[in-house]
Amino acid sequence: MDASTLPAQTVINGVTFNATPGQRPVLVDGTTTIPGLFQKRCADLGNRTAHREKDFGIWKSYSWSDYWNHAKWIGLALRKLGLQRGEVVSILSEDRKEWAWFDMGIQCVGGIASGVYTTDSASQLSYLINDSDSRFLIVEDEEQLDKYLQIEGEVPSLLNVIILEDEGLHDLDHHRCLMIEELYDIGRQAERDEPGAFDTEIAKANPADTALLIYTSGTTGMPKGAMLSNENIMAGIEAGAHRLSSYETDEQLCFLPLCHILERDVSIYFPLASKSTVNFAESPETVFANLQEVSPATFTAVPRVWEKIYSQVLIMAQEATPLGRIAFGMALKTGMKRASYLVENKPVPGGLNAQFWFWDRLVLRNLRRMLGMDRLRRGGTGAAPISPELLKWYWAIGVPLVEGYGMTETAGIATINTPDENRVGTIGKAVPGIDVRIGQDGEIQVKGLNVFQGYWRNNEKTAETFTGDGWLRTGDVGRMDDDGYVTITGRLKDIIITAGGKNITPAEIESRLKFSHYISDAVIIGDRRKYLTALIMIDQENVEKYAQDHKVPFSNFASLCAAPEVRALIADEVKAVNTEFARVEQIKDFRLIDVLLTAEDDELTATMKLKRGLVEKKHANLIEDMYT
Amino acid sequence: MTEPILKIRNIESFYGPIMAIRGVSLDVHPGRIVSILGANGAGKTTLMKTVSGVMDPEKGTITFDGEDIQGSEPHKVVQKGIVHVPEGREVFPLLTVDENLSLGAYTSPDKAQVERDRELVFSYFPILAERRDQEAGTLSGGQQQMLAIGRGLMANPQIMLLDEPSLGLSPILVQEIFAILKRLNTEQNMTMMLVEQNARAALELAHDGYVMEVGRIVMDGTADELMKSEDIQNFYLGVQEEGARENRRWKRKKTWR
Repeated sequence: MDASTLPAQTVINGVTFNATPGQRPVLVDGTTTIPGLFQKRCADLGNRTAHREKDFGIWKSYSWSDYWNHAKWIGLALRKLGLQRGEVVSILSEDRKEWAWFDMGIQCVGGIASGVYTTDSASQLSYLINDSDSRFLIVEDEEQLDKYLQIEGEVPSLLNVIILEDEGLHDLDHHRCLMIEELYDIGRQAERDEPGAFDTEIAKANPADTALLIYTSGTTGMPKGAMLSNENIMAGIEAGAHRLSSYETDEQLCFLPLCHILERDVSIYFPLASKSTVNFAESPETVFANLQEVSPATFTAVPRVWEKIYSQVLIMAQEATPLGRIAFGMALKTGMKRASYLVENKPVPGGLNAQFWFWDRLVLRNLRRMLGMDRLRRGGTGAAPISPELLKWYWAIGVPLVEGYGMTETAGIATINTPDENRVGTIGKAVPGIDVRIGQDGEIQVKGLNVFQGYWRNNEKTAETFTGDGWLRTGDVGRMDDDGYVTITGRLKDIIITAGGKNITPAEIESRLKFSHYISDAVIIGDRRKYLTALIMIDQENVEKYAQDHKVPFSNFASLCAAPEVRALIADEVKAVNTEFARVEQIKDFRLIDVLLTAEDDELTATMKLKRGLVEKKHANLIEDMYT
Repeated sequence: MTEPILKIRNIESFYGPIMAIRGVSLDVHPGRIVSILGANGAGKTTLMKTVSGVMDPEKGTITFDGEDIQGSEPHKVVQKGIVHVPEGREVFPLLTVDENLSLGAYTSPDKAQVERDRELVFSYFPILAERRDQEAGTLSGGQQQMLAIGRGLMANPQIMLLDEPSLGLSPILVQEIFAILKRLNTEQNMTMMLVEQNARAALELAHDGYVMEVGRIVMDGTADELMKSEDIQNFYLGVQEEGARENRRWKRKKTWR
């Protein structure tokens, strides 16, 4: 490339970016593709730690060289086994270092990486493999392998299945399956046969090449594969780096599914630019313990996780000694006062700051240490609405928590708040280089180099997703204030038209309900009905605690939901929410979903949100009950 | 159904800072056998100890025959008619079988009644009559378990709490002891609360069941209902689910529904 035609550069925390974001080519340290950036990082950083993973209780480090070598063997081996540029490889595994190794290995030889949720069923897996025309499937262990074996006959395009963990599989003899070590061996041999082939493949990468395929959960119809190019991801990295500080000394914790664009950005692509270290949580169940051990500099999670941490602290505080409780109460009160200034970006009065310093020393600092947030510079939340009160609570205990917004189709990033520029209750301002506007019908629309290429082999859906003048339709309805902060009010397609002809955005009511600690999720019903009703999923932990404290007998989850006291509790919460809405928007009746749903259930998305369509179908009897 | 004889409501028990029971409510109806299933550390024994007064609950109530008994001294609880047959038998090894049985009736002032009870025990456990002068420590494991149950019967209880009567016994002995428990229930109308790891035996014996996990009840129902639950079959009864391969090692996640 001719240096004179390059956009002006600027250095942010040791990494070079285009000074004006949103220009082509999108450069990160002089590279324009993910493989290119990966190659540069591995060459420069060598033995520095890239990843950490726990092995039999001990955190072990894996360097950038390990990252490079394994990705190289993976890439070369897959190529040897028949992977062509532009073909898809599916990864069915929990988060682990190999996920990143495969992601890079696949992309470096021109393949397209596609993640599959470990909670997906065998039939969903079959659909995803066939729709994406995957050539290879990476499975984590015996449990995931069994899904493949069930659908073996339905996926003829698949060449091989690669297994990461051989536990319980020593006697496996299957002509399509091979263990990860065998794959590495093939890769090592390929490297000896053809030295330099990996670098040659990396050099072939173009910004416009599709780098990954992300299937969107799709609350209606079958999932669609969103194609994201190298340039899309690089634009996301660029936009993130211009707004959010990150340093090469930063520690992070990876625990949300890497199939989801949020964790993928935060734990694989952004660290390629920032050089930070990613620690993989052992399992979804150990996140809180791992958080404490790692004590990350930045931590991005979904609202449900932030809510969980909050409830844990409350329970801890209630069970503390009376003196401890008083101290915590005082500290929190001072923190809240200070937070009121902070979230409005007003200077905190000196006296209050001094008070806060005292309580911080005495209580809050210890609390943060207990949570693993003592080094936390910035907490992030996205993928679902979060209560403004909860955000403020985190600011009160000294954790700067900010909300952002993005979707798969925008490479995970569109608008964000930052600790310095924050307006609680909004999703922040458009990130640099990316334009956001509100369409005629109130829809939030996005334009920028981060906007995806289209849906995989589905031009019809792609066309529906763009406006006539080329803006991406997010499907979310919202408004923008004079300073550019965006607020979301609901989903366009979820708009309910009652029998009386009134248009209602259920998301607004639903998120108000969800802000109750006793309600984990809710679905508003009322399309073509006389009045609105709700199906409510209670928060097991908090409602159990309530029942315990108020001597409400229960045995299992169903009997908890059936207890009249619990119904009364939720009725009060519903009543409180109703006061905030106009008469036609008020919930006249509700039912509790009395089965404890898990991620394996169809009604829940991987981020544990209720899927409207399926909930309405599965619980039709509860709904009918409310209208008869 | 009748009013439960034993009502446990929202019990929480601690070992120091460790919460072993996290809010348990359950009912035992007169004349029924209620079985409590659960893995190690689920809180089953703690629940028993809390009922019998060996441990005091932090929160919650235990009502026996209409009277609150939570936090009562163990001997008061025995006098009210609740007898706890502890895990691991715990007979007095250096005392004879007879002396062990007499100790079970220690709180009873009615000598004639004690002798009637002794005869009752011997009628159910004839082997104890044969060995009545032998030191309890020299009995076999199964005989010691019988002695422990017999000693419990000597208090002429209204309800027996049996903590793992099958522990460390051969399958044939387990069958024998469970058959005697069944007879005690049908002939004497003895109410029982039974903690067991041997889920199949327990569910065959019991009328009702509860499943505990980490201090909570996750499932309850009649024994027949529990036997039919996929989770119980998989995790407690060792039924193998149809998998894609033989010898599947992984277990699917429990849902308790």
